[in-house]
Amino acid sequence: MSKAGPIVGGIAAIVISALVFLVPFAFIILTAFKDRAQAAALDFTWPASFNLWTNLVEVVTTRNWMLVTAFINSTILTVSSVTLLVVFAAMVGFILARRKSRWNPLVEFLILAGLMIPPAVVPTIWLMQGLGLFGKLHGLVLIEVAYNLPFSIILYRAFIATIPRELDEAAIIDGARPLDVFFRVILPLLWPVTVTNIVVQSVGIFNDFTNPLYYLPGNQNATVQLTLYNFQSQFNTSYNLLFTNILLITIPPLIVFLFFNRQIVAGMTAGAVKG
Amino acid sequence: MAGLDLKDLRKNYGTVEVIKGVDLSIDHGEFVVFVGPSGCGKSTLLRMIAGLEEITGGELWIGDRLCNTVEPRDRGIAMVFQNYALYPHMTVYDNVGFGLKLAKTPKAERDRRIREAARILQMEHLLQRKPSQLSGGQRQRVAIGRAIVRQPEVFLFDEPLSNLDAALRVETRMEIAKLHQDLGTTMVYVTHDQVEAMTLADKIVVLDRGVVQQVGSPIELYQRPANLFVAGFIGSPKMNLLPATVDAVEGDIVRVSSRDLAATAIRARSDGLKKGDSITLGVRPHALVPNQNGNVVGQVALVERLGNETNVSVRLPGGTPLMVVLDGDRALRLGESIILGFDPAQALLFDQSGVAREPL
Repeated sequence: MSKAGPIVGGIAAIVISALVFLVPFAFIILTAFKDRAQAAALDFTWPASFNLWTNLVEVVTTRNWMLVTAFINSTILTVSSVTLLVVFAAMVGFILARRKSRWNPLVEFLILAGLMIPPAVVPTIWLMQGLGLFGKLHGLVLIEVAYNLPFSIILYRAFIATIPRELDEAAIIDGARPLDVFFRVILPLLWPVTVTNIVVQSVGIFNDFTNPLYYLPGNQNATVQLTLYNFQSQFNTSYNLLFTNILLITIPPLIVFLFFNRQIVAGMTAGAVKG
Repeated sequence: MAGLDLKDLRKNYGTVEVIKGVDLSIDHGEFVVFVGPSGCGKSTLLRMIAGLEEITGGELWIGDRLCNTVEPRDRGIAMVFQNYALYPHMTVYDNVGFGLKLAKTPKAERDRRIREAARILQMEHLLQRKPSQLSGGQRQRVAIGRAIVRQPEVFLFDEPLSNLDAALRVETRMEIAKLHQDLGTTMVYVTHDQVEAMTLADKIVVLDRGVVQQVGSPIELYQRPANLFVAGFIGSPKMNLLPATVDAVEGDIVRVSSRDLAATAIRARSDGLKKGDSITLGVRPHALVPNQNGNVVGQVALVERLGNETNVSVRLPGGTPLMVVLDGDRALRLGESIILGFDPAQALLFDQSGVAREPL
């Protein structure tokens, strides 16, 4: 028992995780292959006929190629939000770790508040309208940056504290101006945390459903997650198309995860222990 | 051509004063070493010269420019750090050339100067490596190379050898001395190792608690320490400091004695001294020799035989330990009684305020 225990436990854990993660995915794939009638049954059966291509064409062309627009919107949203997040969070983390001032406690309180206090939707919409940013893609970029900044800052700050201050000083003696110190010396050294930030935040923002729903109304502005909502209401019996759509928009985050899996774990723990 | 002039330089952290008014003048081409125990402010003073610490008061002149608020890059200085501070993500070539790149030096000129520095330091074969692939000594060399390419007026070294092992430290010390000869620039060097200070310096500055205790050539500091602190700090093993009492003052001859010390007459500046004053007698371990007519008697407490010399720790009747370094190898038994003498001309007197009473 003493030797078999861990092995049995391990196998059980693998089987359970496989069930939890792979079964829903298998269900999505199977349903995406079915025709409309069979998909409506929502059961775990082998597709009677293979309709993936027709489903794909229909999903992509529906509503005047809305999915394509959505992919473009989501890409712009994700890339610009994550870029701003990485740059700003690293800058804030750098200053917090390096320059001790009496403002630090306040800034740290605000960061924690940003993590803990749930965002209020209606006042935010009111503010965005006042600024003329409501329903604009760049407005949503700013919202995503604001919501996700605290988490990114916390990831960065712990790591920057482990970079010796002499590096900054050596760069200053070498003639680096503050922005040179940050972009040429510090930011390249933050690469492990930056990868973690890129993956975690880009998947989160790409998969975000509620914020685009609240702050970015209108067909022209749809992001990929909103196309699901449209499909469900329009084809509430066309589960084959809905699941084909799910399959399509799951692919980009999945690829990101497969490629950066290892680095994410490294980055999560990188700041924790002085190496 | 640049010397340094420090005029009443001060540094406060809040209400704590760490540098308490340093006046110092360093000529062009001089090798100056700041020594002192940890926390004496020597590194802070160096960082103030570099521009990494703000100057609270006083004036810092580099060459003929007042540099109190000048940016570090415009001071014409280069600095070598204790932990090397190489940029880990750059190759040695880029590390050395980083400053030139920032200064927008043309690429051909940059390349020429990097290779020139690499040649001086014999590290041409390391140029394409990353710092993590180098040994400690090689890293230190790259750090020095990074300083050389900037062609500074003043080199600043912050304990550059303290992370190296003993053998490499001696070797690198000689390289730095040679570098100083070849380049002929002003160098300011901080260390707590007095051997480095004695061997490298044209001029040593001894600091304690933010105050300059004495400035002078290494031999001057060894032979004529200005006060008890310098006497105890410079020289290894430390100078023996024996408490004594003034028996008589006759012109510039002061007669002293104590429980541990038979009456001894020493030439000293005697103004203000009178019979009955307590006084401290300083005598170097190397100045003491076994002598049947000597004036110190004690028991051998510990013997360290090094072959070329023998370090003997002697316990005096009053309980004061006395360190003696004898030439050659001596077989002494523990507990054995030993009579020691010294040439009064090699002894120094320090009055109650700790100031040396040098004979005039």
